[in-house]
Amino acid sequence: MDPWRNSWAVLTREYLVRVRSRAFVISTVLVPLIMGGLVVVPLAMEGRGSQEGSGLLVMDRTGVMTPLLLPRLAEAGFTVEVVDEGELGTPQALVRRMELGPYLALLELDHQTLNEGRALWRGEAPPPPLRRLAIQQAVVRTAVELRLEVEGDPASVGRLLDGGKLEFRLLGSTAPAPPSEGRMALAIAGAFFLYMVILIYGTMLLRAVLEEKTGRIAEVLLSAMRPWELMLGKVLGVGAVGLSQLAIWLGMAALIILAVLPGLPDEMLAGYLAALPPGLIPGPGLLGFFLVSFLLGYFLYASLFAAVGAMCSTEEEAQQAQFPVVMLVVVPVILLFPLMENPDSTASVILSLVPFFAPILMFGRVALDAAPVWQAALAVGIMGVTLLGTAWAAGRIYRVGILMQGKRPTVPELWKWLRRP
Amino acid sequence: MMNRDLPVVRLQGVFKSFGQVRAVQDLDLLVPQGAIYGLLGPNGSGKTTTIRILMGILGADAGEVALLGAPPHKTRQSGVGYLPEERGLYRRMKVMDHLLFLARIRGISRGDAEARARGWLERLELTAWSGRRVEELSKGMQQKVQFIGTILHDPALLILDEPFSGLDPLNQDLLEIIVREFQAQGTTILLSTHLMDQAERLCDRVCLMAGSRKVLDGELRELKRREGRGVVAIDFQGPSHWVNGPEVVSVQSLGHGGEASSHSIRVQLHPGANAQALLVRGVDAGVRIQSFSVVEPRLHEIFVRYVSRNGWE
Repeated sequence: MDPWRNSWAVLTREYLVRVRSRAFVISTVLVPLIMGGLVVVPLAMEGRGSQEGSGLLVMDRTGVMTPLLLPRLAEAGFTVEVVDEGELGTPQALVRRMELGPYLALLELDHQTLNEGRALWRGEAPPPPLRRLAIQQAVVRTAVELRLEVEGDPASVGRLLDGGKLEFRLLGSTAPAPPSEGRMALAIAGAFFLYMVILIYGTMLLRAVLEEKTGRIAEVLLSAMRPWELMLGKVLGVGAVGLSQLAIWLGMAALIILAVLPGLPDEMLAGYLAALPPGLIPGPGLLGFFLVSFLLGYFLYASLFAAVGAMCSTEEEAQQAQFPVVMLVVVPVILLFPLMENPDSTASVILSLVPFFAPILMFGRVALDAAPVWQAALAVGIMGVTLLGTAWAAGRIYRVGILMQGKRPTVPELWKWLRRP
Repeated sequence: MMNRDLPVVRLQGVFKSFGQVRAVQDLDLLVPQGAIYGLLGPNGSGKTTTIRILMGILGADAGEVALLGAPPHKTRQSGVGYLPEERGLYRRMKVMDHLLFLARIRGISRGDAEARARGWLERLELTAWSGRRVEELSKGMQQKVQFIGTILHDPALLILDEPFSGLDPLNQDLLEIIVREFQAQGTTILLSTHLMDQAERLCDRVCLMAGSRKVLDGELRELKRREGRGVVAIDFQGPSHWVNGPEVVSVQSLGHGGEASSHSIRVQLHPGANAQALLVRGVDAGVRIQSFSVVEPRLHEIFVRYVSRNGWE
């Protein structure tokens, strides 16, 4: 007999049933659609808006603002025409002129604009929120620059307005540079994503094990195979579902980047890319470590979730019994922020080497460039060894629990299960 | 092929308790090759526990267990078909997919499994349902699907825990026929049931269990012969108070005759009791006895007699 045949049969069944389920299709399609939609839809709407109906009349009573303001409005996607006060003396003349363009509105600037940043929008409707913000910023920036121009050149004022920059020159040769904003974002996003997928697929596995136990299917399966074959097949099957979903999501992200972004107007795309903080695009090494963290994290927690599923006889019991395991996933997420404050401290190093925290915390530190290669490797080794232990223990608990109906075992009973040969 | 003389199932001195509750005590069991063996007894008598020990689902506290000549956990895959008492199928799977999966874990190739599954679905009138999800089927249909899953790999030993429960009479008959067909092919069948009539029709050997112990086992025909003088069938007219006496275990009324005062009863006597005493009492009571004959007992009667003698624990 061939033990792998049984695990493979369990794996493929689990995989196919889940991948064909409506829940999988919906979550796979909807999650990135919603997340992508939040980013792309406003961008695309802005993009379309800049091509039609973006004409703007500007009347500058200050006489000094237009040279600086017009390029900014153009950058924000407006086609601007400057008009004199005399041209549009009457409201009728204004309406006629706007229809001619067609123009969205007449933007009036006067001394109040220079003093208080106030400008007047005369039009049929207020601009959409993002455009309003763009106009307001262009106007205020111009006003501030003009007001400060006496004391310096506009370029330096511009840099000041950008928020400045704190540079670091560090004492001691080994101290690494602090992480960039992009790296911070990457560490947080990656760690949260790991937390999410470990929890989603871990609980999915728990429910799959529970289904076999409460549905009395395990008894039939175990007349044909050994418990560890069944457990291995389940763990790998649900894990394969997780990997597939990740792969589809990554593929969709790539598709959006390749297909949707080039469709945006060039100036907008350039602006968007320039606005990305440096270090946000992960390299292949970090992507690889993400995958390793996902796999080891999933298997570590999967063995715990499988054991919990085998211990319980009802959904309600499982809800309670999984609590300690869920806490074990939540704790590293809570620790993530203090750790990012000080990713090189001894405490951070030790915490990120704790096997059940490592999938999330070591990834965070690696993403921040705060962990040397040997620490990452050590974490992988520790997780691997722990995995052997948890898989062994989970196998023993599973073996007894999956066929045991009735009350949940107490801790001494669990201990007995573990020691039974 | 295994040795024909070797029992297919052998239990020796098996004990099993759950905490304070004794589920099986000192059980010896031999199922010879090619038999239809009935494990009989009321609910809670230890039938299912015995079967679960046989399947290696439960470990015995003491005693020896051998299935096809090996300990239970070694016989997985080697041609045992097991229908548990509590049925279980994946509810969201389609019937055909489910059967293919069950065949696959028994090592049957896909094409082979599909042909067999089609044949059995046809036979059990489920062809129209093969593409439907299990949850759309009625309980009885689900049970038939699970039965197909049990026999799809043509096992040498079939272990069926209450296979008839939940089936309508027509399907019960069909199942009986199929079980007989398997026996004719040389398959050994061990089934548990609390339906004595069914067991009487189907089994060639039985083991009666009560209160976690075996009370009786052996070849059914032999048992009946041995217990033969214990049952009397009487038709009479008149009052019936005289029937009860020290030698009587139980009285079963088979109904009234045409007149209100005519009776047809079966009386079960204690082993060794004299039927004559009963006849004399009837005559003394002045009833008109139309017929009085010592008959072969039914399995049910043997069972009642033994259980009442041994008491319920």
